[in-house]
Amino acid sequence: MTPILFAFSSAFTLGLTGLVFHRVHLLSALLCLEGMMLSLYIALSTWSLGMGSASSSALPLFLLAISACEAGAGLAILVATARTHGTDRLQSLNLLQW
Amino acid sequence: MSPYILAILLFSLGLGTTITFSSTHWLLAWVGLEINTLAMLPLMAQNHHPRAVEAATKYFLIQASGAAVLLFAGVINAWLTGQWDIHQAAHPLPIAIITLALSLKLGLAPLHSWLPEVFQGLNLTTNLILATWQKLAPLALMLQIQPPHSSLLIFLGLMSTLGGGWGGLNQTQLRKILAYSSTAQLGWMILVVQFSPSLTTLAILVYVVTTSATFLTLKLNKATNINMLAISWAKAPALMALTPLVLLSLAGLPPMTGFMPKWLILQELSKQGLPATATITALTALLSLYYYLRLTYAMTLTMFPNNITSTPPWRLPSAQLTLPLAILALAAISLLPLTPAAMALVAL
Repeated sequence: MTPILFAFSSAFTLGLTGLVFHRVHLLSALLCLEGMMLSLYIALSTWSLGMGSASSSALPLFLLAISACEAGAGLAILVATARTHGTDRLQSLNLLQW
Repeated sequence: MSPYILAILLFSLGLGTTITFSSTHWLLAWVGLEINTLAMLPLMAQNHHPRAVEAATKYFLIQASGAAVLLFAGVINAWLTGQWDIHQAAHPLPIAIITLALSLKLGLAPLHSWLPEVFQGLNLTTNLILATWQKLAPLALMLQIQPPHSSLLIFLGLMSTLGGGWGGLNQTQLRKILAYSSTAQLGWMILVVQFSPSLTTLAILVYVVTTSATFLTLKLNKATNINMLAISWAKAPALMALTPLVLLSLAGLPPMTGFMPKWLILQELSKQGLPATATITALTALLSLYYYLRLTYAMTLTMFPNNITSTPPWRLPSAQLTLPLAILALAAISLLPLTPAAMALVAL
């Protein structure tokens, strides 16, 4: 396992662990998702650098564009949740049990 | 919602699934899934009330993390094998991660707990899209990957048929029952995906038809729990005579269409030398049968002791088109004789 592979894998795993286990605020969940996306960005850009292929050098930017859209949608949902529930704590998202 | 915006969102839903269908590159498959999720979110949250927004939040978190894990596995695969192609034989570790990520997106047990809650917060039209169209893209990816080793998929399939049957047992909310039913049906598809992908295609087609008929019936009656079904016979008596057959088709009883995929899947499992798996799957289908039968019972087979003036609700003219419901209900009930034609249609 190369150091770069280890670095982005552990960054991604850390983000995923935070998303799964640290369930306090919606904002922190969104930040974890964004961290996962950034580690994938690093992975893609170092992969295309290492391969040296011109055709795959645009892929990291596509990834960044889509993940920016996703982060925007996440923030919109954060605003909507704050307006309907009055807070962004994930504990308060408990209306759908019945 | 403005019709222009609605048109854009619906086109994006179609576009995302189409991109995933036609992609051979993991990044493009991921882009399709993301477009799908992003187009679905405004449709879910269009009624700005707490339950819908909460369902949209849960859907977003689950789908975004599932897609991120999928792309992560694709990147790992690219680092280990140097190629991005979906069809090529890949490293077993990324393929296992991809299988888990897709089962999170599909709502397969043991990763299905989000599905009933998301269904519960949405209206029936959005649920219909969520239960049919949104399953297609992840399932198409599931069909294309080379299975890592058979025990993971069989575990997911058995857990789904069991969990989908078990979860719906004590449920009175129709949307949650249908969510569990979706999990159970997807379990059947996943069981057979490594042996015969064409059977999975057949099963998803039949599932889409039967579940669309069920959702459109519920939408016509504006029913979201069993109590509201109990007086629906007064609104549309002929439809209420047909609906039990649709539900039993969803359960997979013999003269109906829903029996076709279950029959062929059990046959395929026995042919592959997995009689124990086939037996357990057939037995877990009984759990699902219980709640379909309970819906049937509350809807048609009994009449609740209400006084006669309170029983019929107002007969307001419905704005819903009934032609799709008629066609889908007919297809959901009576297509079993077309089994050879259906098999020829989906043969890969």
